[in-house]
Amino acid sequence: MKEIRLANKIVKTLVKDRMQYPGRLVLDTFSMIARCGVLLILYWYVFKLNNGLINGTTYIVVAWSMFFYFVFSIMRLREISRAIMQDVQTGNIEVLFCKPISYLKYKMLWQIGSGLYSFLFVAFFGTIILALMIGFPSTMAIGIFLPTLLLSFLGAIILSLILYSIVGLLAFWIEDINPIFWVVDKSVMILGGSYLPVALFPKFMYNLALYSPFGASQFITHTVYDSWKTDWLMLTGLQLFWIVVLGLAMYLIFLSARKKVSVNGG
Amino acid sequence: MAESIIIKNLTKKFTFSVKNKSSGWVKNLFFPEKKEIIAVDDISFSVKEGERIAFIGPNGAGKSTTIKMLTGILFPTSGKMSVLGFDPTKDRKKLAYKIGTVFGQRSQLLPNLPVIDSFEFFGVMYDLTEKQIKSRVAELVELFDIEPFINQPVRKLSLGQRMRAEIAVSLIHKPKLILLDEPTIGLDVVAEKFLRDLLLKINKEEGTTIFLTSHDVGDIETLCDRTIIINNGTVIKDLPTKDLAKTFIIEKYIDLIPEEKFKDFPNLPDGLKYKIKNSNKITVTADINKISVQEAIKKLIDMFEVEDVDVYSADLETVIRHIYERDSTGK
Repeated sequence: MKEIRLANKIVKTLVKDRMQYPGRLVLDTFSMIARCGVLLILYWYVFKLNNGLINGTTYIVVAWSMFFYFVFSIMRLREISRAIMQDVQTGNIEVLFCKPISYLKYKMLWQIGSGLYSFLFVAFFGTIILALMIGFPSTMAIGIFLPTLLLSFLGAIILSLILYSIVGLLAFWIEDINPIFWVVDKSVMILGGSYLPVALFPKFMYNLALYSPFGASQFITHTVYDSWKTDWLMLTGLQLFWIVVLGLAMYLIFLSARKKVSVNGG
Repeated sequence: MAESIIIKNLTKKFTFSVKNKSSGWVKNLFFPEKKEIIAVDDISFSVKEGERIAFIGPNGAGKSTTIKMLTGILFPTSGKMSVLGFDPTKDRKKLAYKIGTVFGQRSQLLPNLPVIDSFEFFGVMYDLTEKQIKSRVAELVELFDIEPFINQPVRKLSLGQRMRAEIAVSLIHKPKLILLDEPTIGLDVVAEKFLRDLLLKINKEEGTTIFLTSHDVGDIETLCDRTIIINNGTVIKDLPTKDLAKTFIIEKYIDLIPEEKFKDFPNLPDGLKYKIKNSNKITVTADINKISVQEAIKKLIDMFEVEDVDVYSADLETVIRHIYERDSTGK
């Protein structure tokens, strides 16, 4: 009960905090239009050149898949890596270690709260605009779509936070995690389908996207594919597998990191 | 009276890698040379409930490291600690409900939101009910005179206002012990006095034990009834603050005011040294291990034509400086 109340308070406080900065929302919206919008136009043209079908997939499916990727990225969950690194580098970590909370849980909730306001805004209006422009694919009309989308969304949040927290925790050993962050982040972007939708991947890359934690953290982009109605259970199971394995790894790394704390003393 | 803090043979060593110029980069990367620093070296002391402790020492003495071990942030290399009956290394979260912490150089407040939001936020974090939060906030707002800026975003507060809010927020859960690491750093004299008065008030009214580190002699003199001095990781003195000056006074100062003007400044006898010498005033330092005050005055009156003589001890700051210097030079 206490955990839920605290989680609710953190998220609410952060949403309130972000609402103080409408400029940030405008920036998020424009960044979404710039990144996702340009890619959607390019893909529209490429699909047109190929008579509307590539690798058995239609433009409308690809467009929604990419839209899900970019809307999810508005939550900026990846920033937890840098937030942890900053806490370690500045020594600010000591302030949170004095509180009756779990440091990692707090940072995760903080990250969700930070991005939630922009996410809800962009997701709501983006969905309406995209639906008006290109309509919905038939795969979004099946009964399991919405519940499995939510399940996959929840899995994506948890797995992304765990994955990027592990990167952040490495700051206890190497201080500057940027090179590792870059590799992990680019792996997530590529295997998550930010540049090229997963449906258009060659077999080898598709398998990599399916069985690696990087791709699994973005299974939300698979929810509009035809294969989803038969594969959703396996994909959700894979996501759960990575959540358990990496969650355990994160916990062990954190226990070890706790003993590495070395804030400036006097 | 029960003990708030018990420390026995506490030691903290930091180990880090150093580059050996004579070794190759492969050896430096995979088998680096290790260097060890002993930040806290086998210290033991205890603090009773309701005491006000100044934990002082020069930079790098081990003060903050000790505080961070007491709060469960750092793990000791060896030794035992008990804080309010908890072992900070094992019961960090349980202990956090009972203690308050203020780090003068760091902020726990929510920078973009009004101060009141930080109170509510931490109230929930400490598992207080809405009713408890409301009544505690009202108490703290009155006690710390926060009302004028309670609805201002934290980032727009002055340093003095922010420190008041920091301390008030750290007291939201009525901690039994508050640990403050340089709470008055950077404050002006008015804000410093205000904070000291507040800390005294919460110590008297709520019985909160105060454990603070500071470089500010004013904090020690006006706030703390006991002083523990640490240097090079070891406790070198632990005594009532009022005895600090008495115990360590090795010098007296003698001011001489002339009948007219001083013209000559002859050599002084052994044990006496000029500190200030001008035609309107002479100040002499007397080493009381070599010459008594009475004898010093007698000799000075024979040497100078004076209208007035004033004898006084070194201030606490000078005494503390002497202790640090003596300890670091081993004299």
